[in-house]
Amino acid sequence: MAAPLASLALTALATGGHLGDRAWITLAVIAATFACVTAAGLIGWSRTRYRVTADSFELRSGLFVRRLRAIPLHRVRNVDLTAHPVQRLFDLVVLRAGTTGATGGRDGLTLEALTRPAAERLRAELLARAGGGDAADEPVLSTGDPRWLRYAPLTFWVFGGVFAAVGAVWRVLDDLGVQPWRIGVVRRAFEQFGHSALWLTVPLALLAVAAVGSVGALAVYAENWWRYRLEWADAGTLRVRRGLLTTRSVSIERARLRGAVLREPMLLRAAGGATVRAVAGGLGDSEENRARSTVLPPAPRAEALRVLNGVLALPGALPPPGVAPVGEALFDRPELVRHPRAALRRRFARGMAWTVAPVTAALVVLGALLSLPVLLYCAGGFLLLATPVAYALARDAYRTLGHGLPDGPDGHLLIRSGTFSRDTVALARTAVLAWTFTDTPMARRAGVTTATAAVAAGEGGYRIPDMAAGEAAAFAHAATPGILDEFLAW
Amino acid sequence: MSMPTPAPRLRDPLHGVDPRARRWWTTQALLVVSGPMLLTAAALLVLSLLFFPSALPWLGPLLLVTLVLPALGYVWAMPRWRYRTHAWELGVRAVYAASGWFWRKRRIAPLSRVQTVDTVRGPLQQVFGLATVTVTTASTAGDVRIAGLSDADARELARRIGDAAQLVPGDAA
Repeated sequence: MAAPLASLALTALATGGHLGDRAWITLAVIAATFACVTAAGLIGWSRTRYRVTADSFELRSGLFVRRLRAIPLHRVRNVDLTAHPVQRLFDLVVLRAGTTGATGGRDGLTLEALTRPAAERLRAELLARAGGGDAADEPVLSTGDPRWLRYAPLTFWVFGGVFAAVGAVWRVLDDLGVQPWRIGVVRRAFEQFGHSALWLTVPLALLAVAAVGSVGALAVYAENWWRYRLEWADAGTLRVRRGLLTTRSVSIERARLRGAVLREPMLLRAAGGATVRAVAGGLGDSEENRARSTVLPPAPRAEALRVLNGVLALPGALPPPGVAPVGEALFDRPELVRHPRAALRRRFARGMAWTVAPVTAALVVLGALLSLPVLLYCAGGFLLLATPVAYALARDAYRTLGHGLPDGPDGHLLIRSGTFSRDTVALARTAVLAWTFTDTPMARRAGVTTATAAVAAGEGGYRIPDMAAGEAAAFAHAATPGILDEFLAW
Repeated sequence: MSMPTPAPRLRDPLHGVDPRARRWWTTQALLVVSGPMLLTAAALLVLSLLFFPSALPWLGPLLLVTLVLPALGYVWAMPRWRYRTHAWELGVRAVYAASGWFWRKRRIAPLSRVQTVDTVRGPLQQVFGLATVTVTTASTAGDVRIAGLSDADARELARRIGDAAQLVPGDAA
C-alpha cells in the first residue's frame, strides 16, 4: 500500500500536480483496495471473540468459515505484546500466546487490536495459570545503553544501505515512467560533478555517502534496539524486548535453548564490539531465526560475555569462587585445538583462486584485447597489492579456526571460525543429533575434513571446517559418546 | 581433552548400493547433463556446417573442449565414482550413510533421534527397480539419505529403521 501511494505522490511532484490517466487509474485501484482491506478488517474484527475458560484459551474467528482455536493453558509458555507505530497511536497492542510444541514451527494464538489495559490483564491472567515456573534469581541480563550506538556505523549497511535506498527510489521512479536523469536538478548535478576536479570530488562523494550511511545505520540501530532489555521472564523463558517505533518482544524457551554464538564481524571486532545470538529451536524458518535469535545488538565485548554468562548459566547455579562464569569460561580466549597448516594453505589458495586470479586475468585479457598497456600495469599492481591482503585474511581465518570440549561431559562443544565474521559457537553436547563428515579429493590429499554437528535449533548444522582428518572422528566420538561407536575402527 | 591413542577412524559402511544404480545414474547424467550438452554441440556444428563452414576449424576444437569432452567425462566418471562412494550400514544404535562423488559426505544419525522414514521411487528409479530411503531427524542437517537401494533392500531397511527407532529410547528432539 505504501509503495504505490508514495510513487503516486512522487508522480504528482515530478509532473507538477498534473496527473495523467494512468495515475488516476492507479489512485482508483488504491482507493478500492484500501476500502476492501478496511472492510475485511472490520468484519474480521467484529466476528472475533476470545475467552479464557477453566483450562484453555479459546479464540473464535472468521466470517464464512467459523474457526475455533483453543490452546490448553498449561501449555502456554510465553505471552508477547507488540505494537507498531499506528497501533501505538491508538494505544492498541497485538497479543501472541506461544506454546510448547514438538514441531519446528511457531504455535500459538495471535489476538490483534486489544486495548493495552485489556491486553495486560489478559497476559497476567494467562501467565498466572500457565505452566511457567518461578521467576529466576537474577532476571535482567542486560539493558540497552545509548553509548552502544557508536557501534552502529560499523556494519555493511553504511555503504550497502545507501545504495539499496538509491536503488529503491530509482525503481519506484522507473515504475512510474519518470526518468530520473531527465529531471533538471539531477542532470545538472551530474554534469557539474563530471566537470569538477574528480580527484577531490570522488573522495568527497564517498565521504558524503559514508556520512549518510552512518546516519542511516544509527537510525536502523535505534529503531531496532531502542529500550533493549534481555531478561529471564521466568525460570524457563528468556525474553528480548526492543524497538523504538515498532516494539518487538521475542521469547525463547530454555528447554529449546541449545547454545549460543558470539559473533565478531571484522569492523566490530576492530572496535572491541560483538553481538550474541541464541541457538534455539522454535524461532521459525532460517530468515526468521536470524532476526529473532539475536539477543544482544552490537555492544562492547565485555557486555557480550556477561550476556553469555546469563544465557548459558544453569538456573540458580552460581559458579564456585575463583571459577569464571560459564560465558567467560567458554568464550573469552578459549583454549582450542588448532587445525593443521593445510587449512591455511587451502584458505590462501581459495582467496587467490576466487578473487585475486579472476580479477587479474580479466584485467590482462581486457588489456590485451583493447591493447591498453595501462590495464596490464593495473593487473600487475593489483596482483602485487591483493596477494598480501589475501594472505593476511587467510592467516586470520586460519588463526581463528579451532574446536574443543572445554567443560565436562554435560558441557559444550566449542567451534570458532570465520574472518569476515568471527563466530564462536557453543553447542550443548547433548543437543547434537547427527554428525556429517565431508571432504573432496583435494581435502583428502591435504589430510583435512569438515565435520558438521546437526542440532534441532539455530541454523541446523554447525561446521568445523578443515580439521585434521585423523582426529575428526575421535573428536566427534569424544563430544557425543554413543553416536559413532559402531562405525569406528581402532 | 584426553584423546585415546591411537585415534579411532571412521571406517566405511559395510553395504554398497545396488549395481543397477550405476545404470540409473548413467541415464540420469545422459538426460540431465551430458545429453543436453552433446545436443547443443551437435546443433552448433550442424549450423556451422550449413551456414559458416569457415568457422569449423576453430569452432570444432572449441566445442570439443568445452562441451563434448566434459559431457563424455561426466557420464563416464560420475556413475562409477558415485557407485564407489555410496554405501550404507544400519547399526544397532545408529544409521550410517556415505554419498556424493566429488564431495564425499558421510553422515551418522542415532536411531533414537529418527523422526520419520520415507521411501521414494522416482520415475527413473522405478524403471530400474530402485528406491531412495530418507531418514529424517529434527534438523535438516541430520537427515540421512540412502539412494540407489534395490526395492527389496529399501523396504527391509525402512522396516528395520522403523522398528529400531521405536526400541531405542529417546525424545527425537
